[in-house]
Amino acid sequence: MVRSAVVGGLVGLTLVLTACGALRDNSDHPLTTLSPQGIQAQRIDDLVTPVFLVAGIVFVLVEGAAVFMIWRFRRRRDDEDGVDEPVQTHGNPRLEWAWTILPAVLLGVMAVFNVQTIWKLEQRDANALTVEVYGQQWWWEYRYDLDSDGEPDIITANQMVIPAGRQIALEIRSNDVIHSFWIPALNGKKDAVPGRTHSWSLEADKPGLYQGTCTEFCGLSHAYMRMEVKAVSAADYDKWTREQTEPARTPVDATPKDDSDDSLVLTGFNEFKSQCATCHQVNGQSYKFEKETDGKPDPDYGGAEHPLTAGNAPNLTHLMSRNRFAGNLLPLYTTDDEGNLVPDESALGEWLRDPKALKPMAPDENRGMPNLNLSQDQISALVAYLTTLK
Amino acid sequence: MAIIEANPAGAPSQRLALEAGDTPAKPFGVFARPTTSQGGWKSWLTSVDHKRIGIMYGIGSLFFFIVGGSEALLIRAQLARPDQKLLSADLYNQVYTMHGVTMVFLVVMPMAAAFANYLLPLQIGARDVAFPRLNAFSFWAWLAGSLFFNSAWFLGGGADGGWFNYAPNSGVLFSRSHGIDFYAIGLLITGIASLVSAVNLIVTVLNLRAPGLTWFKLPIFTWMTLVTQFLLLFALPVITVALFLLMFDRLFGSNFFDAANGGDPLLWQHLFWIFGHPEVYIMILPSFGIVSEIIPVFSRKPIFGYPFMVFSGIAIGFMGWGVWAHHMFASGMGPMSVTAFSLSTMFIAVPTGVKILNWLATMWGGRIKFTVPMMFAIGLVTMFTIGGLSGVSHAFAPADTQQTDTYYIVAHFHYVLFGGALLGLFAGFYFWWPKAFGYMLSESIGKWHFWVTLVGFNLTFGPMHVLGLQGMSRRYWTYSADQGFSMWNMVATIGAFMIAVGLLIFFANVVISHRAYKKNPVDIGADPWDARSLEWMIPSPVPEYNFDEVPEVTELDEFWHRKYGHTEDGRLVRIAETEDVVQKAGATGIHLPSPSYWPIVLSAGFPFVGYGLIFDYWWAVPGAVLMVAGILGWILEPSTDPEAGHDHDDHGHDDHDGDHAALDAGTDSPAELDAGDATPVLAGTAAGSEESTE
Repeated sequence: MVRSAVVGGLVGLTLVLTACGALRDNSDHPLTTLSPQGIQAQRIDDLVTPVFLVAGIVFVLVEGAAVFMIWRFRRRRDDEDGVDEPVQTHGNPRLEWAWTILPAVLLGVMAVFNVQTIWKLEQRDANALTVEVYGQQWWWEYRYDLDSDGEPDIITANQMVIPAGRQIALEIRSNDVIHSFWIPALNGKKDAVPGRTHSWSLEADKPGLYQGTCTEFCGLSHAYMRMEVKAVSAADYDKWTREQTEPARTPVDATPKDDSDDSLVLTGFNEFKSQCATCHQVNGQSYKFEKETDGKPDPDYGGAEHPLTAGNAPNLTHLMSRNRFAGNLLPLYTTDDEGNLVPDESALGEWLRDPKALKPMAPDENRGMPNLNLSQDQISALVAYLTTLK
Repeated sequence: MAIIEANPAGAPSQRLALEAGDTPAKPFGVFARPTTSQGGWKSWLTSVDHKRIGIMYGIGSLFFFIVGGSEALLIRAQLARPDQKLLSADLYNQVYTMHGVTMVFLVVMPMAAAFANYLLPLQIGARDVAFPRLNAFSFWAWLAGSLFFNSAWFLGGGADGGWFNYAPNSGVLFSRSHGIDFYAIGLLITGIASLVSAVNLIVTVLNLRAPGLTWFKLPIFTWMTLVTQFLLLFALPVITVALFLLMFDRLFGSNFFDAANGGDPLLWQHLFWIFGHPEVYIMILPSFGIVSEIIPVFSRKPIFGYPFMVFSGIAIGFMGWGVWAHHMFASGMGPMSVTAFSLSTMFIAVPTGVKILNWLATMWGGRIKFTVPMMFAIGLVTMFTIGGLSGVSHAFAPADTQQTDTYYIVAHFHYVLFGGALLGLFAGFYFWWPKAFGYMLSESIGKWHFWVTLVGFNLTFGPMHVLGLQGMSRRYWTYSADQGFSMWNMVATIGAFMIAVGLLIFFANVVISHRAYKKNPVDIGADPWDARSLEWMIPSPVPEYNFDEVPEVTELDEFWHRKYGHTEDGRLVRIAETEDVVQKAGATGIHLPSPSYWPIVLSAGFPFVGYGLIFDYWWAVPGAVLMVAGILGWILEPSTDPEAGHDHDDHGHDDHDGDHAALDAGTDSPAELDAGDATPVLAGTAAGSEESTE
């Protein structure tokens, strides 16, 4: 009996540990919290693993005790009421004090590590790179002020590019409702609350792509408000900033070696100006494309700095440098028959045809992208133009 | 009111004679009270009998359990596979919001109220609650608010901001349908109901205990219910304020939660959770009380460590006020607040753990009978333990920043509220069903109900721990196949439908057991479980007046001690046959509170006022008429029906609050008389007064 219980327990433990090991695998679970890839996430993991362990032990003890008692103290068939009765114990204050104080002490010990971790997560490195994060229905915007002049030099969306091995200090804000910024592999979440700036940090140990998602309910497309962090080497990060600060390609820049049809791109550019530019910014052009500017992104494009429900839409200057669009939901690239990465023109086209069909939005209430009822020709031209925005 | 005991010895009561007032028999004929308290369904509408009101709460909560459960099935059907489009995102948001609000406010709370109403007076040896008409009003107002809230489905769609309804997503700018208006006003109405009920039950326990029933002889269920009522008393005003601000923001364009105009979205969060966390204990403590009654009965041992059970319950009640911001660890309130609330949350696990260990210690060395109520009670102990442990894991604030708003939290609170609260409440249904209806629910069908529910429950919510840790966020109307959530979501959906089957088995059990009883009415007697507390001393179903004679209490588990004694070595011996101890329902001439039309009239006014605020102010007119009529009628109706068929003497209608227990026993202790005398005005004017005569 005892031996079989021990064997059973060991088998169970092995199974549990194997399952835990499987849970730590992040290959099929891009959002898992159990596979930390940066110092902050690692600190949380170091705190929570012993907590899970202690909780697991308590679980086994309590449930085991319950099962044992159910078996040991069950009523026998021939027990008679009033005769085969148990001893009437009313309590045992010493025992009860013990199981009041013991958990309190255990929790007290664990509390030390808890408090330490809370404050460690607030630490900021002196050389941390600041990225401003704006949540809005239903996508994320990132702003980089490279020269610290108070004006953003890069405004991008959905994909945040960071140098690996360097702490990123996030300043999280919201333009409409409360959202929550969360890259599980790099750190816990922090809410974006309108009217407030929240400081948070993250750091990636290695270059890689880390998925994230909004985790504070924010309306219709809460489930489709995704984002990713692309960590690159310091050199690649510098290269990325140089590319991002270059002005947008306009059709004039397009050369035959881009192997795109120049006239179609030019048509698309004009469509963009008339259809898209009231909300979407392309650096170097002013709101509604009335005039050319100095090429820096305008943080108040379309009145974006004022509380709004729309009017601000992702900056498309270097759209094709990202992986996905529409709140990181839809692919910008696909592989052709020969396995080369090529722009996913069908996804872009489908989106332009009826955005609401792919992502629930409320454009009638100025929240999300409206259906502009574009013709197939307009869509083809727009896709041709957009895919030149590298 | 006063429910005054007919003196069993037939001797005239001196106190009655002393305090008898002189009230006109029929001040306004039109406001006469209904005369029949028995009979067809109509008598239920005007009943002020705490048992009938308790049963109506039970029926209402089970009805909304079907509604909220159906919403849960829609959620699970939508999430069964990735990228499903069974529900649109908009409809999904409404369904999950309505599911949450329904389960909290229209299922768990009223189901606990059903037990509180039915049992509290019985467990303390009273004839009714302190204010019977207010009690009826509580029920009807709750029903009015509940129906009003759900009528949103037919008037433009349900609330779509989540039960937590965070600002500014709850503002008109972001939620233009009227769903959230229905949420705000509906919950204000049910809040009035709960607040009135809380005051009523607190006064009942304070003033109407049987002679000798001192604080530390109160059954644990009564204790836990009392703590719950105090939590309600202090928590409801907070949510009322929050809902008022929300209503003003939405309907009248104020800016309490609008950051652009100087408001603060976090204000809502703090107000909501200052209510919302005590609310968790409001939902769970009654179930803790229920299993604390059931486990000793079927272990055939007294509760282990009664004082620890009581004080841990009170400690939970107190500490429950200091942990609200653990719902906001990611909200950006700063590391100092996070530290404080993280620590307080960790330590609230201590009194909860004490309860679990004391239940186990009660079973230790017992002789456990595995009846259906006992199985559900053990289900609570074992399942709540899981919810408690996962709760401790996100008391660690850094861990919580990974877990909050994921399915890990959904798993956690369903283990607490389903594995805890609802399993406890179903234990209560099986345990007290014979007391309320005079027949047992089938044990064999009940065991099917238990096992199907337990397995289904674990299949549904167990995998959600994994889903949450794998990063699946809450309140997502769908997910993608490449996110790796597909398998466990399918398992959870299968589990949810098993729970639904379990509930159907329960309803089938009710029908089958009822039919069997109709065909072959067997008297189950007063005490089918060989139980411990006072309610088992009186016949099943309980006569309208509860006790023939209010018992004088000398022990904790008074009824048990009238049946059993101890030998010197602590062995239990029977000292009296149950039939010789129980009451026989032979009392006559006990004068009970008369039924009244006005609670339901007054309550019926609320929804119209609500529609008026939302659609057109003219709708408020009939509502105001009903409410004014209800209040006037309430004030002006005779305190009791003078025509009711009792032998009247000419004491008339006095306004004294009777400490009937003291009267009955004829051994009035000065303290109890003081308690009785302290409230005559309140009692008399607020709820009318009834008295016994003879």
